[in-house]
Amino acid sequence: MAEAINDTSITKVKAQKSMSPWAVARRKFLRNKLAMISLFFLMTVSILSFLAPYITTVDITRVNIGSMSLTPSSEHWFGTDKSGRDVFTRLLYGGRVSLLVGISCTLLIITFGTLIGALAGFFGGIVDALLMRFTDFILNFPLLVFVIVLNAVFFGKLGGVPVLIAVISVLGWGGVARLVRSKILSEKENEYILAAISIGSRPAKVIMKHLLPNVLSTIIVQATLTFAAMIVVESGLSYLGFGVPAETPSWGNMLAASREPDVLQNMPWIWIPPALTLVFTILSINFIGEGIKDALNPKSLR
Amino acid sequence: MLKYTLRRILGMIPMLLLISIVVFSLALSMPGDPFGGEIDPNNTDPQYIEEMREKAGLNDPVHVQYGRWISNFMQGDFGESTRYKMPVAELIGERMPNTLFLGITSLVITYILAFVMGMYAGRKPYTTADNLIGGVNYLGLAIPSYIAGVFAIYFFSFKLGWFPFSGSVDITLQDGSFEYYLSRLHHVFLPAIVLGALGTASYTQFLRNDIIESSRKDFVRTARAKGTSESKIYNQHILRNSIIPLITFLGFDIVTLISGAIITEAIFTYPGIGQLFLDSINNRDYPVMMTLTMMFSFLVLFGNMIADLLYGIVDPRIRVD
Repeated sequence: MAEAINDTSITKVKAQKSMSPWAVARRKFLRNKLAMISLFFLMTVSILSFLAPYITTVDITRVNIGSMSLTPSSEHWFGTDKSGRDVFTRLLYGGRVSLLVGISCTLLIITFGTLIGALAGFFGGIVDALLMRFTDFILNFPLLVFVIVLNAVFFGKLGGVPVLIAVISVLGWGGVARLVRSKILSEKENEYILAAISIGSRPAKVIMKHLLPNVLSTIIVQATLTFAAMIVVESGLSYLGFGVPAETPSWGNMLAASREPDVLQNMPWIWIPPALTLVFTILSINFIGEGIKDALNPKSLR
Repeated sequence: MLKYTLRRILGMIPMLLLISIVVFSLALSMPGDPFGGEIDPNNTDPQYIEEMREKAGLNDPVHVQYGRWISNFMQGDFGESTRYKMPVAELIGERMPNTLFLGITSLVITYILAFVMGMYAGRKPYTTADNLIGGVNYLGLAIPSYIAGVFAIYFFSFKLGWFPFSGSVDITLQDGSFEYYLSRLHHVFLPAIVLGALGTASYTQFLRNDIIESSRKDFVRTARAKGTSESKIYNQHILRNSIIPLITFLGFDIVTLISGAIITEAIFTYPGIGQLFLDSINNRDYPVMMTLTMMFSFLVLFGNMIADLLYGIVDPRIRVD
């Protein structure tokens, strides 16, 4: 008898339990149409790009003199470029490189920036002063200029995509560090942090278990914005000829073909596909970022 | 304020020294001799090269070389371009007016567009026109300048034929004539719009949000209660308050104009500093490259300082820290 009463009361409590903040955020995000369409678009582009070798069997490196600068047709959906390579195939392979560079740079930048920002914000004092001076120092380098110069330094010795990722990441983490530091600074004033420290938790534990989860929403939003920015940086550098090596297809490298006035004026099928893919990818990442920001903000009404 | 300004200027000096060391080490680690500008590349006699290296001081210890470079640099001697065979200072002086012209035109266009759009959207928020302006600005923020530039050339230069797609002036025209200046303006217009798109979007959004916020404040209610006309409230009472925070953007404009100029000048093959920089990298013209890298870094540092100082003027609380 007593057990039965207990049972009902438990189910009653369960039914009234409110959703966790993450569940609320997820529901808000799923209801955001623009963000969902963007997510769908981004997923499609990513899956197509990463499955490129299974989707097309055309060799992307071979120069085919017999089919130079062909207009779009059923055989070549987006036509061919000036070396006779299929534009659609290159677009897929280019997506692999562009997205890979974007994701790797974002992961490195967010990890390093969060680490520096969290340490500076939590410890304060001399640690903060030193780390922030170092961050200021990094922030004072114009990113584009120094990536170009560093690429010239490594020219011929160590080329390629990994070096590009490393160079961009080394110069790019300053903004994230500043942001995380300011968030940690205001978060650590809360009493639960004081409580955690006073029961003897080690700093590493306080940062990992208490502080970071509470600034995570800011970091996630920042990560999406960084992702979009890094794709812009990669393709911008490749457009100028200082990014991904010219023989590797990337969206920026494909767009670089438009620097020849002849291609730009008369063969729009060569540069419009990468340009539009880039625009839509960047826009959809931004929309997803806005969606996440909105979903994680308890004050927003949507 | 004076004390704050002095402290900020003094704080720049160690940063500049550090940057100069980084730039110098980068130049040292580049393939080839960064300071061997005067060595004749056609003379391959090893003895001659060794003599010239000794003369150029390339065999000295690194810190001696750095000391010589930085002291020459401070005195305005930037070395000689290996490609153009002329002093770097002169070369930069030749290209500088083009970039300045591009930057200033772009700023003027930015201000005009942002004021018109921002004031309209702020006055009539949440209307169709406001949403339209917001959408355009979103695109301006999200679309990279090189893609906007490529599309602008395709439509406005090739399809419509309204603007030239490269260069800074029609070379057949005589320097100084009225047509000459008109042609320069004609050439700079498209790159300036592309370069200013990012700034326009952020200025407009800021102005709009600030006007909406101000229009709910008490002083506006007072003005309305006195019977002041709507246009006077918006154009005088609110605008004055909203413009002040905007001036802090000026410092960041310097920073965006630098990196923007490199890309924009490359798209439109506009002969300015940005293109000179890219050329110097491609041609391994180290003296030009180092000078420009230092110059860009200095301008970024300077722009950040201006932004901080303007913040200090607008919000006196910042000066204390």
